[in-house]
Amino acid sequence: MLRRIFLALVVAAVIGGAIFWWLTIPATVAANSLPAYTPDPANGLTTFNAGGCSSCHAVPGQPDRLKLGGGLAIPSPFGTFHSPNISPDPTDGIGRWTEAEFVSAVLKGTAPSGAHYFPAFPYASYANARIEDIRDLFAYLKTLAPVAGKVRDHDVPFPFNVRRNVGIWKFLFADDRPFQPDPARSAQWNRGAYLVNGFGHCAECHSPRNFLGGIVAAQRFAGGPNPEGEGWVPNITQKRLADWSAKDIAFFLETGQTPEGDSAGGSMVRVIRNTSQLSAEDRAAMAEYIKSLPPLEGPPRPKKAAKS
Amino acid sequence: MMMRTIVVVTTLVLGAGAGMAQQDAVKLAQDTMKANGKNMGAVLGPMFKGEKPYDQAAVDAALNQFVDTAKKLPTMFPDSVKDAKWEGDFSPSPKIWTDKAGYDAKVASFAKVVNEAKAKVKDLDTLKANFPGIGKECGACHETYRLKKG
Repeated sequence: MLRRIFLALVVAAVIGGAIFWWLTIPATVAANSLPAYTPDPANGLTTFNAGGCSSCHAVPGQPDRLKLGGGLAIPSPFGTFHSPNISPDPTDGIGRWTEAEFVSAVLKGTAPSGAHYFPAFPYASYANARIEDIRDLFAYLKTLAPVAGKVRDHDVPFPFNVRRNVGIWKFLFADDRPFQPDPARSAQWNRGAYLVNGFGHCAECHSPRNFLGGIVAAQRFAGGPNPEGEGWVPNITQKRLADWSAKDIAFFLETGQTPEGDSAGGSMVRVIRNTSQLSAEDRAAMAEYIKSLPPLEGPPRPKKAAKS
Repeated sequence: MMMRTIVVVTTLVLGAGAGMAQQDAVKLAQDTMKANGKNMGAVLGPMFKGEKPYDQAAVDAALNQFVDTAKKLPTMFPDSVKDAKWEGDFSPSPKIWTDKAGYDAKVASFAKVVNEAKAKVKDLDTLKANFPGIGKECGACHETYRLKKG
């Protein structure tokens, strides 16, 4: 009898292990699945600015946002991540990467080594991106100056440091369907929806997350505690932004100035450094989309009179 | 006994005085920042965006307020307000005190930009050239030295 229970347990463990293995296989984009294409580095620059790449990958504490040696510490409830070097340096950066490896990294969150990236890299949003935009981005990054220096490893404790587990996270929370335009809406709205949900990855900070670090889909864009630690990220649905016109939102993305005359603070300042580089049309498109977000109640905010 | 009473009473009075000074400092910081925000959002911003006609007197008043703020900023957050209660959405980041050199550098940069703007802004075109730079200074300091609470 005991023997039989033992055997059943072994079989269950093997099946469970196999399912885990199968569920957590890192997805890649094969080189031969990419059609012939001549990349456009100018559009790559737009993608770079929309994606806010330099917010995390520029060397911190210096003014050049195109010096992509990485090294920014990104605190989270799961440990501290250190953004990698994405300059074209052949040893420390992405200089030796193939185009397919780069597309796999951005679209699927899979490293050239075949390991999962941690979702501090917002590939769950980038999965919405058009492959052409990613290929243009790769061409653009190649034009930048290589920066030597490998970044230290992440400080992420067990069990979160087991990268294979990230496959489960992706299975639960990452939607790998590309962006679907809404034919009932204007071209400008769809462009905005694409930028906000894809490269702009606005929802990554402006949404509450559950205990596993997945975005609470029902409260997307409704704000929540700052995933990087102190403070609060505002609700950007019409619940909070009803007083802002689309023009106000576009002006904020350009200058960091709110209609009340306040300025963006915290990580949003880095975001504005990117969105201020976009075309006025792209900012207007993002504003139109954000203005259309139905009001959603976010998680309860801390009491305003709370001690600092 | 008499002596002891005097000491105790004096201590209490001084303590209360310090508490008052703390609240005064908090109020000064908040009022100054609110006035700055009003100047950006209700005076300069609408002119910059073309929603209001250019008004040199209003521009001068706003820029003078910024120059005045730049003078106050180096001492605006004394050690006494570290543990103060900050009503409202924002509070100063502890980095103001742990990274004093960095904070002072941001203040100096703001002072330079607003003084230059005061010297240069004479019409809509010069306002348009200088307004974004002022906003950038606000954001550059708020990025690190201000916390959003709610």
